[in-house]
Amino acid sequence: MKFRKSLLLLLSIAVALVLAACNGGGDDNNNEEGQEGDGQKITIFQSKVEISEALEALATEYEEETGVEVEVIGTTGDDYFQQLQIKLNSNQGPSIFSVRHITEAEKLQSYLHDMSGAEFVEHVAPNMALEYDGKIVGVPYGVEGFGLVYNKDLINPEDVATQEGFVETLESFNGTDVAGLSLAQEAYFLIGHISNYPFSLQEDNYAYVQSLNNGETTMSETAEFQAFGDLMEDIRANIPSPLDISYDEQIGDFATGKTAMIHQGNWAYGMFADYDLDFEIGMLPFPLLDNDKLAVGVGSNWAVNGTKDEAEVQAATDFLNWMHTSETGQRYIVEEFGFVPAFTNIAAENLDPLSQAVLDATNAGQTIPWSHNYYPANLVVNDFTPAAQNFFLTEDVTGEEFIESLDAAWDNATK
Amino acid sequence: MANRMTKGWYLFFTLPLLIIFVTVVIIPFLMGIYYSFFDWDGIRANPMVFVGLENYGQLLGDTRFIDSAWVTVKFTILAVITVNIIGVAFALLVTTSLRTVNAARAMLFMPNLIGGLILGYIWQFIFSDAFKIIGEATGFDSVFFNWLLDPDYALYALVFVFTWQMAGYMMIIYITGIQGISNDIIEASVIDGAGYWQRLRKIILPLLMPSFTICLFLTLSFGFKIYDVNLSLTGGGPVNKTELFALHIYNEIFGYGNYGFGQAKAVVFFVIVAAVTLTQVYITKKREVEM
Repeated sequence: MKFRKSLLLLLSIAVALVLAACNGGGDDNNNEEGQEGDGQKITIFQSKVEISEALEALATEYEEETGVEVEVIGTTGDDYFQQLQIKLNSNQGPSIFSVRHITEAEKLQSYLHDMSGAEFVEHVAPNMALEYDGKIVGVPYGVEGFGLVYNKDLINPEDVATQEGFVETLESFNGTDVAGLSLAQEAYFLIGHISNYPFSLQEDNYAYVQSLNNGETTMSETAEFQAFGDLMEDIRANIPSPLDISYDEQIGDFATGKTAMIHQGNWAYGMFADYDLDFEIGMLPFPLLDNDKLAVGVGSNWAVNGTKDEAEVQAATDFLNWMHTSETGQRYIVEEFGFVPAFTNIAAENLDPLSQAVLDATNAGQTIPWSHNYYPANLVVNDFTPAAQNFFLTEDVTGEEFIESLDAAWDNATK
Repeated sequence: MANRMTKGWYLFFTLPLLIIFVTVVIIPFLMGIYYSFFDWDGIRANPMVFVGLENYGQLLGDTRFIDSAWVTVKFTILAVITVNIIGVAFALLVTTSLRTVNAARAMLFMPNLIGGLILGYIWQFIFSDAFKIIGEATGFDSVFFNWLLDPDYALYALVFVFTWQMAGYMMIIYITGIQGISNDIIEASVIDGAGYWQRLRKIILPLLMPSFTICLFLTLSFGFKIYDVNLSLTGGGPVNKTELFALHIYNEIFGYGNYGFGQAKAVVFFVIVAAVTLTQVYITKKREVEM
């Protein structure tokens, strides 16, 4: 009896608290952490593993210069968006975070601060700012490009300029100690980036994605995808299993000459800092259907959390402003982060060879756009990756069946 | 007066615990049930649409959910068997008169002190690198290959690591059980001429039933709820073949952004775990014998 009574008491307390919590959740959306923060401390949570250390160094310099404390929260890579969501929901959201593309911006719209009018935003290269609903909600990290990063001692660019030549080159490495090409097990390195090509080779890749979403077409009936399926089959037959290789190992093997080519982007250059490269490297287009253009786009955007109090939003904007206009900030962006700047006021000098290749391709107009920014949210991690794992694990899955499984994955993500 | 004093003390000591329990268990639990009736993407500012029981209705048609449930059951059955057999074996071993008993106990328990996440990463390295090297060196590459890349073996790898982690913990419980058995009975059986196996089967194991109740309960519920080792060892891969229930719910909520649907799964999960463990406690309780 006594036990019952106390249980009842306990439950009624709990229910009362729940109701209070739910009420609270309803109306303080635009006002989280409104009471604290005097603009003396901002937090940054960003998605690029490669720049973590450099960003922390930059934060220290900023703190020395201005006295504003900048805390950089360690990043985790593939599950960044999930982590960000958890932080935002539990009121521990950072003042500055990154938004990869418009689909993410749409999801997080209520958190995004409108940066239009801030000084540094005027310098963003044309069409490069992330706009949502007529507001500028994100400024680009930089322009990035990916393709075949190759060892100039082992690969002759002309040999891999065509799809046929590329496959022949891969085959020529069979039986040697050197692998022709390697992919890595991480979602974007396994399938996310490489799946761009058949999309981006469409006349209008955005329209194509839309028609996929509407069910008007399928990948299986599109010529570029059929070719992609065939090529992936050839790749699978001639490279070590990518599921066995982590990003670190992929870079390590390439840097020590055990792999001739890797499918990577200019961001990977920072990873080579730990190695003494005794050969020259460069970047070539991935020759699907003899494609001769690098895939270039904006990898991520800085966004300011508009739900913080005014002082903190201001401090966050000030930091971004400083980063993009001061000499120190600009030097970090180009030299330490290794970004190809997407700002007209930042000169791109002394770029590393991979970034230089991206910049050259951009200036020469030899680029195709990124399509994965238009994919349904989280498609690559949730649905494409299992399909790709299945393809690489099971030898008897044909390229055609692989493309069909990508279709199924797309349907699952848009249902 | 004295009575009131004790009551005061009771309250003083239980209240903090009660508050913690209510805030971290009861409230989230009730909120979870509440959210399971909504269609919501988990972002606070976005609209929550009340859909009633629709989320629960959708569950049966979700093949990935069914697959995950089946894998979890398979994992739990395997894990309960291996953890308890090895736990009992360890316990019997370290209650003998071996000279290294204390060191052995400490070492067997030690894996349990390492956090599940770290454990998963350590074993991931062992499976993907060490196994491959052993396989190449010894030629037994039908056993020593990267288990994590094979859809079936990845599950066995999970069972293996979970056993490695939990067996020492269960051993401790079994040790207390064994030490609780009165020497008189053992001696009497020896005098009556019972051999070791007879003694084990007819006396020690029946008298260990209370320990079995506890250990089966713990391994069952730990097994069902496993998340950390799953996340770091296989991440649900390859091809989602080792996506156990807790990870599946996480992916539904944070991967696909179906907060309400994921919560509905969590509620169903709770009901299943509660039903299974309570049944088990009921059954094993009945088999406990008094000395």
